[in-house]
Amino acid sequence: MATWTIDEPQKLTFDTVRRLRLRLVAGSVGVVGTDEQPTLEVSELDGSALLVRHQDGELEVDYERPRWQGPLGWLTGWRRRYRAVVSLAVPRDCEVDLGVVSSGLMVSGLRAPLVARTINGEITLSGCSGQVEAQTVSGAVQAHGVAGDLWAHTVSGDLTLVEGGGSIGARTVSGTVTLDVRAPGAGDIRVTTISGDVTIRLPHASDLQVQAQSTSGQVASAFDELHRDGLPALQRIRGRLGAGTGRLRATTTTGHVALLRREPEAEPEEAR
Amino acid sequence: MSPVFSHGMLRLYLLKLLDESPRHGYDVIRLLEDRFMGLYAPSPGTIYPRLQRLEAEGLVTQSQEGGRKVYRITDAGREELRRRQDELDHLETEIRSSVHHLAGEIREEVRGTVRDLKQELKQAAREIRRQQRHENRSRRDWYGDWHADWDWRGEDAAAPRPERRLRDLLAATHQLLHRAHLTEAQIRECAAILDESFQRIREVLRDKR
Repeated sequence: MATWTIDEPQKLTFDTVRRLRLRLVAGSVGVVGTDEQPTLEVSELDGSALLVRHQDGELEVDYERPRWQGPLGWLTGWRRRYRAVVSLAVPRDCEVDLGVVSSGLMVSGLRAPLVARTINGEITLSGCSGQVEAQTVSGAVQAHGVAGDLWAHTVSGDLTLVEGGGSIGARTVSGTVTLDVRAPGAGDIRVTTISGDVTIRLPHASDLQVQAQSTSGQVASAFDELHRDGLPALQRIRGRLGAGTGRLRATTTTGHVALLRREPEAEPEEAR
Repeated sequence: MSPVFSHGMLRLYLLKLLDESPRHGYDVIRLLEDRFMGLYAPSPGTIYPRLQRLEAEGLVTQSQEGGRKVYRITDAGREELRRRQDELDHLETEIRSSVHHLAGEIREEVRGTVRDLKQELKQAAREIRRQQRHENRSRRDWYGDWHADWDWRGEDAAAPRPERRLRDLLAATHQLLHRAHLTEAQIRECAAILDESFQRIREVLRDKR
């Protein structure tokens, strides 16, 4: 096993990386999938040194566990700083698992499964076609062109997905959920919020079985095919769009729900 | 679209690509993807508004050629490009040499795209809610009527069309059933009520004929 202790900005290269596991605290983390040589770049480092381990295609980046310094030893590390700006280039088929406290996370161009967890950092995803799981407490999740299945969970962070492709599971307590879906019909879209507003834009022609409801918020839809249930206690819109092969279910307690329809002319010019 | 992002690099890239030769929107998208090493593929939804914006600023012009829009850089566009060439060169070398900068660029692009879209959809959602609020308000009055109707036994109440009533009945019953844990006997009884209702409605309609 190759091990490095990094205490100053530095660049490392590796021969093969099939899996990446990263655990950091503050700063920022960027992971891009490329066809070039796997690279780890530490461009800023504040406080504790990073520990990098590489064995059998598995790359691990984290902090060294403090040595046992007696029962009250943890107090000595109380004011220690853990801040690092780390960027990695990995093969597109590399499985990635990121866990941080307040770092921003950016991942792009991966085909393999990805897990990204942070407490109050922001998660940015671009062009990921594997399965994606993104979790934050107060940070936002923003994704562009995620073709694979996406499962995202926040507490107060906003969730925005542009050009989503596969199945989408979005759950948040008070954050808003904004989805711009490209080609629904293949997968399920499930959105649940407590107080956050839900805004979903669908293509002009979709194949979805739709149910959208809000207990005390307003439910609005641009689709005439969907009918409104006359329920005194909640607002609900249901119905089928096109062939109804996929499913869309949006549920919120006090938030508003809006189902928007993309204008047909917004499609690429070449398609005309 | 936020003013901050209009000063982003994407704008300069667009100008640069159009400076090389006049292009269709689609070519621009494809070439941009190459530039970001296939990591960021801007969508028509991001590119066309930007091109339109550049056009509004007088930096590009567009014309219809064979049913497609072709964009061309103007002198003002060339001037802008020349003025910020250093910035562009600097950024390009950095992107190629450092993962950190590449990641940073992609992050900025995604952030900008997301922010724009969020703004746009928020606006649209507000609009559609405003339109349908009126409709809902009248519905709410109607809920009141419906509740009054619920105990209705006489012939005189202004009854809504049966179809509409049926829908409401269905929805309300669904909700009741959803919460309840039914016993065998209850299930049979409910089924009987439904059958009976159907039979009676059929009789009523038959009588009319």
